[in-house]
Formats: sequence, C-alpha cells, structure tokens
Amino acid sequence: MSTQNDGVVDRIGTFGRQAVSGWTRERFVLLSLLGLLLVSFAPPFQVFLFTEFLIIALFAVAFNLLYGYTGLLSFGHAMFYAGGAYGLAIVMRDYQQPIADVVGTGLAPLATLVVGGLVGLLLVLVLAIPVGYLSVRLEEIYFALITLAFGMLFFVLLEQNPYGLTNGTDGIFVVLGFVEVGGTEFRLGDRRLYYYLTAAVVVASIYAVWRIVNSPFGTICKALRESPDRAAALGVNVTVHRWMTFVVSALFVGVAGVLIAGFASVATPNMSHWSTSAIPVVATVIGGATFFVGPIVGAFIYLYVRWGISRFPALEDQWQLFFGIMLIVVVLYFKQGAAGGLFMGRDWLLDVHAAYQRDGVGAAAAFVRESIGATFRRAMARLTSTGRDDGGVDR
Amino acid sequence: MYPINVFPLVGLSDVVVGLSLGSRLFLIAVGLSLIFGVLGVLNFAHGAFYMLGAYFALSVATNVVDNFWLAVLLGALAVGVVGAAIEVATIRPLYERLESDLDQLIVTFGFVLVIHEAVRYRWGSQSYRTDAPAILDFTVQIAGSQFRAYRLFVIVAAVAVMIGLWLFITKTYFGSLVRGTSSDREMASMLGVDVPRLYTAVFFAGSFLAGLGGALAAPIQSISPALGDQVIIDAFIIVVIGGLGSLSGAFVGAMVVGMMQSFATQFLGSGNMAVPFAAMVVVLLFKPEGLFGGIGE
Repeated sequence: MSTQNDGVVDRIGTFGRQAVSGWTRERFVLLSLLGLLLVSFAPPFQVFLFTEFLIIALFAVAFNLLYGYTGLLSFGHAMFYAGGAYGLAIVMRDYQQPIADVVGTGLAPLATLVVGGLVGLLLVLVLAIPVGYLSVRLEEIYFALITLAFGMLFFVLLEQNPYGLTNGTDGIFVVLGFVEVGGTEFRLGDRRLYYYLTAAVVVASIYAVWRIVNSPFGTICKALRESPDRAAALGVNVTVHRWMTFVVSALFVGVAGVLIAGFASVATPNMSHWSTSAIPVVATVIGGATFFVGPIVGAFIYLYVRWGISRFPALEDQWQLFFGIMLIVVVLYFKQGAAGGLFMGRDWLLDVHAAYQRDGVGAAAAFVRESIGATFRRAMARLTSTGRDDGGVDR
Repeated sequence: MYPINVFPLVGLSDVVVGLSLGSRLFLIAVGLSLIFGVLGVLNFAHGAFYMLGAYFALSVATNVVDNFWLAVLLGALAVGVVGAAIEVATIRPLYERLESDLDQLIVTFGFVLVIHEAVRYRWGSQSYRTDAPAILDFTVQIAGSQFRAYRLFVIVAAVAVMIGLWLFITKTYFGSLVRGTSSDREMASMLGVDVPRLYTAVFFAGSFLAGLGGALAAPIQSISPALGDQVIIDAFIIVVIGGLGSLSGAFVGAMVVGMMQSFATQFLGSGNMAVPFAAMVVVLLFKPEGLFGGIGE
C-alpha cells in the first residue's frame, strides 16, 4: 500500500514495481485488467456473457459492503437494482428528444445514456435514504425481513404503473440507438462497445468500493460487524454509520442496475422481486463474504456454472439445484467460500514451490502427499466426530 | 368505480372470503412461527415444505391409496420427516455459531432452491388441480353468494389446528417442555431436557403443519413449482405482523391479512398486494416483536 500523499506518478511507479516483483496483489490486478481487454476479442456470445458477469459482480460487491463488511443481510437490494434500471429506461423513453435538441442528434443517445444513468442513481439515492434510515434500526433477521418488505413494496409499485411511468408488468424497453461522431456511426448496443463501457464503469466502481473498504469508514464497518456494542463504546454512532453504508451500497447496486437495463434492453418489475435480491446473496456466500474478491469469484461461478450446466440439455433446468447444494455446503463446512479456496490453493502452491526450491522434486512430491493426507484425515475426523463443531468459522 | 362508502361494500360474503384466505394463510404461517418461537430459526424453506405437502398428497392419492384424508395425513407426515432430516443434517450444526441467525436463513434458502428443482424434476412445471373429497363437494349459500363447502371446511380445519396446538402447548407435559426450552435453553438443558432431540421434534411438527396446510389447501389452489415462492412471502408477512414465535399472533395475523386482501380489492383494485407489505413495514418499525407476545399466549 502506498501512502495517501504520494503523487499519481509515484503511485503508478510503486504499482509497477510491486507488479513485477513477484506474485503480489498488484500483479494479479494487472493481469486481470489485461484479461478484461483480451475478453473483448472473444466470440460475441462470450463477450455478452462476460458483460453480464461484470454487472452481477458489481451487484454482489456492493451488496457485500453491507453483508460481509457491516454484517447486515439485505433481502431487498433488488429494489435499487430496479431503481437504476428504471431511471435509465424512463429517461431513454421520454427525454430522448429534449436532450437531442440540446446536444444535437449525433451525440443524443450517448448523452441520454449518461443522463439516464445519473437520473437512475438519483432515484436510487431518493429511495435509499429513507429506506435505509428506517431499516438500519433493526438487527439481523428483522433487518432482512424489512428490506424484503420494502423491495416487494417497490415491486408492487412498479407493477401498478403509477402515472403511466413504469408500463406495468411489461416493463420498459431500452433502445440504446446510434451515436454519430465525425461521420462515423457507432451502435451503442453493440456487444463489444457495450462491453468496454461496462468494463470501464464496473472497474471504476469496484475500485471505488475497494477504496471505501480500506478507508477509516471501512474499518468502522468491520468493527460493526465484529461487535456493534464495542464500536458504540468507542464512540461510533452505529445507526448513522449503518445508514451511510446502506446508502453507499445501494448507490453502487444502482450503477449495476443502470448497466443491466442497457444490457438486457429492458427494465421489468421482476428486477425488484425478492428472487433477484437472492442473486447477490447466493454469489456472495458461495464466493466468500469475508474476502473483497469473494463476491466477484461468486458471480463468476454463478454465471459460468449456469452456462456450463445449460450446455447439457439433460441438466438444462437443474442449475438452481446445484446452487442450492453449494449454498448449504459452503455455509456448513466452508465459510471461506470459493475465494477462500483460491487463496488456500495459492498458499499451498507457494509452499510446494518453496519445498521444490529447497530440496528439489522429491521434497515437493513428499510435501504434496503429506498435505493431502493431512487434509483428508482432518476431513474424516470431522465427519466421524460427534463433538461440537464450530462450523469452521474463524472470523 | 364505487363511491367510497364502506358499509354497502363489505358484505358478509367478503368476510367469508377473508376468513377463507386467512385460514389457508394460517396453515402456512403457524409452523413457521412455532419453529421460530422455539428454535429461533427463520425457516426460509417453509413455503417449499407447504408446496411439498400438496405434491406428496397428490402423489399418494394417485399412486398409493385413493382416499383424500389418508393422502393428506401421509403427505403431511412425509413432509415432517423431510423437515426433521434437514434439521438434523444442516441446521443443528449451526446453533453454536455466533451469527447463526443469518447462516440458518441462508441454508434454508438453499433448500428453497433444492426443493424447487426437485419438484420440477419429479412433477414437471405444469400445474395440477385436485378435487375436493366427494363428501364436501357441494355449495353453500351465504348472504346471497355461493361458497364451495370445502372452503368453509378449511376455515374449520384452521380453527381446529389452532385449538389443538394451543391445548398441546399449554396443557400437556411435552408442551411445557417446549415452552420452557423456548424461554431458556440452557436451563432446560441442565434440568435434563434433551434439547437437540426436542428441537428436531419441534422442527418435525412445524414441517408437518406446513405439509398439512399444503395438502389441505390443495383442492382450492393450483399446485405448481411456483407455489412455494408465493406462500413463503405471505408467511413472512403474517409472522411479522402477529409476532415472530407467537401462535395466536399467527392466527390473528393470518386473518387480518386475509381480510386485508379480501377488502382491499374493493378499494385499491389490483393495488391490494401492497397493503400486506406496508403493514409488515409498519409493524417492524413500531413494534418489531409483533402485535402479540411470545409462544403459547
């Protein structure tokens, strides 16, 4: 970590040095960014799928700011997802022309997209401030229930078509249109172009969340998760801080909502249904709520396992079964989730590598045998033990 | 539209419709409230259990024994066994945890997905209808409206379940164990109550009630894999309004929500769906423990 008062150039320099000095976090970040660029040259469907993954990843990361970092499980975050989507859709539908009058026909679709996105975020803010204020007074199960109720209220409201704004159960189509700059035309809805747009926004948003998590604000969040009472004793205003976190989390979910409206070309009431709220819960828990990258890994598993299962016609509809079982197994035996597994795997590989460098191949092979055997014995002991198990929690 | 004048609009027939809806909702919610009151587990899969009850009863009636009442009983028992197995295998290890509440919620949500898919795999996505037993296959005139006798029977059944449970909890030895354990688990354990076994028994009872509700309500609803997702939200609303863990609260809450849905249609058209959620929010904000006290009251 570089200190806060470094210049940008210094910081980039530090980042570069860290990236080439070994398997550091910086190197992974650099490789991920390169990977994001490379994905855009994949076949169109893969680009499409990856775009969706990025959006769900942002959705889950924003959700996890509240769940993994502050310890509040929201079952109503779909409300803000839908809020962002509807903000964009309504602006796209009703204000295309006035915006075109201002910026000219060529740039109008892009300008509308930007304005729509901002309106979507504003709508989310207007929703999140009162909803958060009311919700954060409640704890644990009650918090989950009240957010569920708010989300469903919003769902019913969207279906009711107030003042003809939301077009009832059909939802609103989002047509991104064509942008004309200097004689060349771009289709905004083009998969590659939209992928670049999404990737830029998602990377910036996730970076922002990461900065928040690693700021004093994020430290207070973690303190609240560990023990609200102790945090209060240290002078933290628990309710206000939770409220702030709720609003920030909702805003980033709103960003994901804006992106999904453009991606799916539609905003529907179902985006606010509780089953949509369950998506980040599933992704986060499977990925590992205690890690920052957990929700991202979880979103990746969520989308790609689904896609993989759909390749087998016999299993076409059974993907939910897989996630249900995964959810149960992870919560019971593997609270670290998939991200925890990846980190464990990385450490293990580093250990193998160290053994190899020390005494060559034989030692490395012996280490592999030994560690696998030990793990297996531990697992067997756990299965056969009747004693009380702490469930593998080591928070 | 009607003029907003309450009295001509709310007839006896609306009350009966409300009671009928409320009875079905009570059968859904009572087991959820029982389990929460004793175990402190909010069982997300409760709606899925309700759905399973309907499907099991359907299967028994078509494949095993062509007797409606027996099918209902066997279906409910089978759901109870499923629930008990789930409790032993996946919920019991979580009681000791620090943040067990949310973990239990997430695990039981996992079972929502699993049961949903299992049902689709076994019975397909189409919806089924079952017939009411022949003995109740007639209509009754109340206040100028026609009612199927079976609907009225469900009201009677809900009241019977309520009374039976109340007697069981307040008058029997086992009921006093349940009450004692729900109020102080450590003390009950020290006094020699086998708490894990009691928990499994209560979970069995709650699941049995969910299955019973699903099986009894089968003739007055269409049975499809989406059923569980619909009813769990209703159940959440009711237990929140009545008070998490309160049985009488579940009964009153169910009737209130049933009436709301029956009456609100008249005033709000299709917006009646919003009323229960709004009620849920208001109760959570001003009286999160619900309108009624603890278990067995």
